[in-house]
Amino acid sequence: MAAEVATQQLPAHKKKKEVALLKTWKRLIRNKMAIVGLTIIALQLFMALAAPIIVGVDPNKQNLELSELPIGTEGHVLGTDNYGRDIWSRIVYGARISLLVGIGAVSLGLVGGVILGLLSGYYRRLDGIIMRFVDLMFAFPGILLAMLIIAILGTSLVNVVIAISIWSIPTCARIVRGSVLSIKKQEYIMAMKSLGASDLRIMFKHVLPNCAAPIIVFATMRMATAILSTASLSFLGLGAQPPTPEWGAMIAAGQEYMWTSPHMIVVPGIAIMLVVFAFNVVGDALRDALDQGMSLDK
Amino acid sequence: MAGLIVRRVFQLVLLLIGISFIVFMSMHIAPGDPASIIGGPTATQEDVEAIRENLGLNEPLLTQYFDYLRGIFTGDLGFSYQTKQAVSEAIINRFPNTLNLAIASIMVAIVIGVTTGIISALKHNTWFDGLSTVIALGGISIPNFWLGAILILIFGVNLQWFPVGGLTEPFWTIEGMKQLALPAITLGTGSAAMIARMSRSAMLEVIRADYVRTARAKGVREKSVIMMHCLRNAMIPVITVIGLNFGFLLGGTIITESVFAINGVGRLMIESIAARDFPMVQGSVLLVATLFVLVNLIVDIVYAFIDPRISYE
Amino acid sequence: MEKKWFTSLLTVLFVLSLALAGCSSNSSSGGSSGDAKQELTYATTSKVVGLSPILTNDSVSSTVIEQIYETLFVRNSKGEIVPHLAESYENPDENTWVIKLKKDIKFHDGTPFHAESVKYTFDKLKDPATAAPRASLLAPVSSIEVQDEHTVVLKTEKPYGPMLAALTHSNAAIVSPTADKKQDLMKDPVGTGPFKFSEKVNGDDIVLVKNEDYWQKPAKLEKITFTVVPEVSTAISMLQTGKVQLIDALAPELMPRLEKIKNVETQKVDGTPVYYLAFNMEKAPMNDLKFRQAVSHAINREGYLKKLNGLGVYSNSFIGPEVFGHPKDDKGPKFDQEKAKELVKANGFDKKEIKLLVANTASYMNMGEVIQAQLKEVGIPAKIETLEWGTYLDVSKTGDFDITIAGWSNVTGDGSELLFPRLHSANIDATNLSRYKDAELDKLIDQSRSVVDQEQRLDILANADEYVMTQLPVLPIYHGIASAAYDKSVKGFEMEPTGQWSLYGVHRE
Repeated sequence: MAAEVATQQLPAHKKKKEVALLKTWKRLIRNKMAIVGLTIIALQLFMALAAPIIVGVDPNKQNLELSELPIGTEGHVLGTDNYGRDIWSRIVYGARISLLVGIGAVSLGLVGGVILGLLSGYYRRLDGIIMRFVDLMFAFPGILLAMLIIAILGTSLVNVVIAISIWSIPTCARIVRGSVLSIKKQEYIMAMKSLGASDLRIMFKHVLPNCAAPIIVFATMRMATAILSTASLSFLGLGAQPPTPEWGAMIAAGQEYMWTSPHMIVVPGIAIMLVVFAFNVVGDALRDALDQGMSLDK
Repeated sequence: MAGLIVRRVFQLVLLLIGISFIVFMSMHIAPGDPASIIGGPTATQEDVEAIRENLGLNEPLLTQYFDYLRGIFTGDLGFSYQTKQAVSEAIINRFPNTLNLAIASIMVAIVIGVTTGIISALKHNTWFDGLSTVIALGGISIPNFWLGAILILIFGVNLQWFPVGGLTEPFWTIEGMKQLALPAITLGTGSAAMIARMSRSAMLEVIRADYVRTARAKGVREKSVIMMHCLRNAMIPVITVIGLNFGFLLGGTIITESVFAINGVGRLMIESIAARDFPMVQGSVLLVATLFVLVNLIVDIVYAFIDPRISYE
Repeated sequence: MEKKWFTSLLTVLFVLSLALAGCSSNSSSGGSSGDAKQELTYATTSKVVGLSPILTNDSVSSTVIEQIYETLFVRNSKGEIVPHLAESYENPDENTWVIKLKKDIKFHDGTPFHAESVKYTFDKLKDPATAAPRASLLAPVSSIEVQDEHTVVLKTEKPYGPMLAALTHSNAAIVSPTADKKQDLMKDPVGTGPFKFSEKVNGDDIVLVKNEDYWQKPAKLEKITFTVVPEVSTAISMLQTGKVQLIDALAPELMPRLEKIKNVETQKVDGTPVYYLAFNMEKAPMNDLKFRQAVSHAINREGYLKKLNGLGVYSNSFIGPEVFGHPKDDKGPKFDQEKAKELVKANGFDKKEIKLLVANTASYMNMGEVIQAQLKEVGIPAKIETLEWGTYLDVSKTGDFDITIAGWSNVTGDGSELLFPRLHSANIDATNLSRYKDAELDKLIDQSRSVVDQEQRLDILANADEYVMTQLPVLPIYHGIASAAYDKSVKGFEMEPTGQWSLYGVHRE
């Protein structure tokens, strides 16, 4: 019975969703800032995917004779670093790393956060325990939590991803829980429940899709935080293993050369700023677009 | 209100026990032996073993934890493995510096954030609004260790307007303000941006709200509409953000303190984690966590005063 | 109206924060101002662990300890060992050291310095209950006896060649027994040196003042402050703006900047430290001499030195030019990329990836990156694994690596004190990171330690070094240079090859 009700609803539901998506997209690209952000993200994506095609030079190829060349040198558009490595090629390959770290950390964090959030929003009995646990994680300064995790697991990019993802669980759990609480009370969920649909089915098929909007916004903004945090951890010497061309690690290494070759920190600093900026802007615009969408649908 | 405070304090105690357990266990699971760090690379196996015994690290783990917990309840946070200094003493020495920095930063953040946020909301969709949105978003996108290094380079070394590092005076003295200017801007920028965005959207929402329209329709003067009706209501979410940011700032001091050579609790944490100085890590983490919870409690109480509709009973 | 609202909000916040800060802020004394006469501020990157020579073993602590305490013997500027608190010494037999002490010396607390103080200090250093990190320094000493008020006798089971060198080590500095019984020397140190402890300010900054009753002419500086500045680049900025007058252990990448600053002078002295690759001799292919030779030929050490901006010395020997026992001629392998490639090809060394373990301090990581890239050039695939210092110490000692970058500062400046800890089979699982077990080398090292005649020791050590450079359990990359940068107003500053320095003869103009 329950299944029948659900399948009958599905086509209409789906169509409505597609329309809503299209509307959201249209609203999004009407926002000038969002276009700037999307362009930067698209560029980063392109750099990440096509790195070997864009640059012919190995980002780790050293040439101690040609070290610390300034920006604009022939053959090295963005100059070279203290080992004579080409900074442009390191930036391009670094785009790949920052994107991977961001996506990895955010998706891992989402899985954890969504599960905790769903459980705690859906089952009142679990709510207290899970939320206390979330409070506990909140009370840790994020960077410290990451430092402890890396102290246990060891210094590597993969462990940075794990540390950052754990750090984003509490926020995500709270957001999901909030949406679940409000959706749970809506009539059709109540109706399905009384028709005997299983909890799991309701949670994943009906509640979760309805939390999609805040989750997408959170994920986009979180990409920004994740990229920044990776840089901070690298600055503390807890990130990528050398000679990985990670942007944060490039800044950390360039610090000592700041006075003689400032481009070594300026270039990766700007790269990080642009990308983080882009994700923030798009996240912001998405929220506006989705918010309006919600209110129109009502 | 009293009920709220009692309940929160009780929760705080549980929370601290939980945190102390997590920190204790993670420090012990983590590779790296405090005794070999004290011994250094030149130490022989016998040297290291003698130090381990001396520090009580050969006791069973749970015995060590419960000894520690018992200590906390009698107000004894233990002694540093490295310096043999009482942990409470070490923290009390450094805490004023961290608090100085955190307060100065949150003040920078509030002044910049609330002002620009409100002005952008009032001048919605003007060039000022657009520019401040871009700057605000830029603000949260700057890695703060990078900003710190660049501020030192420009204002400390080239222009010599401010000292390049160190903090010896409290923030209300002239010398203290000079010492704090660069670190507070470094640390406060991210928060300023967040507060600006929150103030802007909260303000926008309030301006469009029905009761404001009603007030306007009743012919109340524009300025008093903004002051009486909008600001008060818009402040509620802004205060949450400020509260959250204060906690965030306490964590952020970890990096800023290193860049600006400020001898605070944040730096104590990094150094102690690196040295596997367990009692020192525990003590400083507990302090920061306590502060974070207390600040949020204060935020809740302030809420209740600003918005009488909220009750916690 | 709007303004008023804001001012009141701000006032409330301000008062609130004043109250908050007021509760906890104990007023700290003012920072040292740059222009004060005969005062000096030294900045270091990490904090002083403590001020007891017996209980500490870190370079930062020993910097302060050097100013407060004194040792029986010191090395002079030529590297020779001369008596300091001691007057003279003699060896009636190989196992007995009769040391006569100087008279009329007093500790800062008024306690007279005599043979009892030496016995007390050394007994305490050796006592297992003390858990002294450098107890091993005097491990060969079996007894310490007071012959008369100014004569102390050290007895050993076996002849101990580096005895005098060990007695120059700052961990063997003499403490005041009365003070040690009464107070914690870690916080409240009492020695015989030219400066005495005054106070701790602002958390970790240590202030020393001149010891007016010093047994030689009192120091010229009235007050010295040791302050902690974790970021080196910030410390340099403070040096530039006159907040700090002295920093040391400079990083090569900072030299160009330091040399451009007008009010700053730098000093470089050839030093005793050696930085090298340790091969894990218990694992394949590192236990194959051909592999070690291939690596040795692959690394362009002279080229790397150019990157160090004058902060390193090239010497194809493990015992460096400033260390006792340095060989006259150089027999080690030279940079030869073609030869390295041949060896790699012929023996299939390009098949297995090598794990290069590096502690995550800047200078080691820099070296690691260059070495990894150069190994790659000749076809040896290597992966860098960086670890925090604390973890590194443990992992390197248990041998969980293929090659690691290591350093040895050698504060005693004696070759035995390098070869014994780093390559003697007795120290596997501890300081012998290469896990090298070779009967012939063990014999040479033992000899170098047991012979008391210094000329003879020199030959033995030179032979041992030659043996090391043909067997290559280690590959020295470069030998360190002790360096410091200071304000031009600081006069009379002199570094020792060990990287230590005393402010006794320093004054400001």
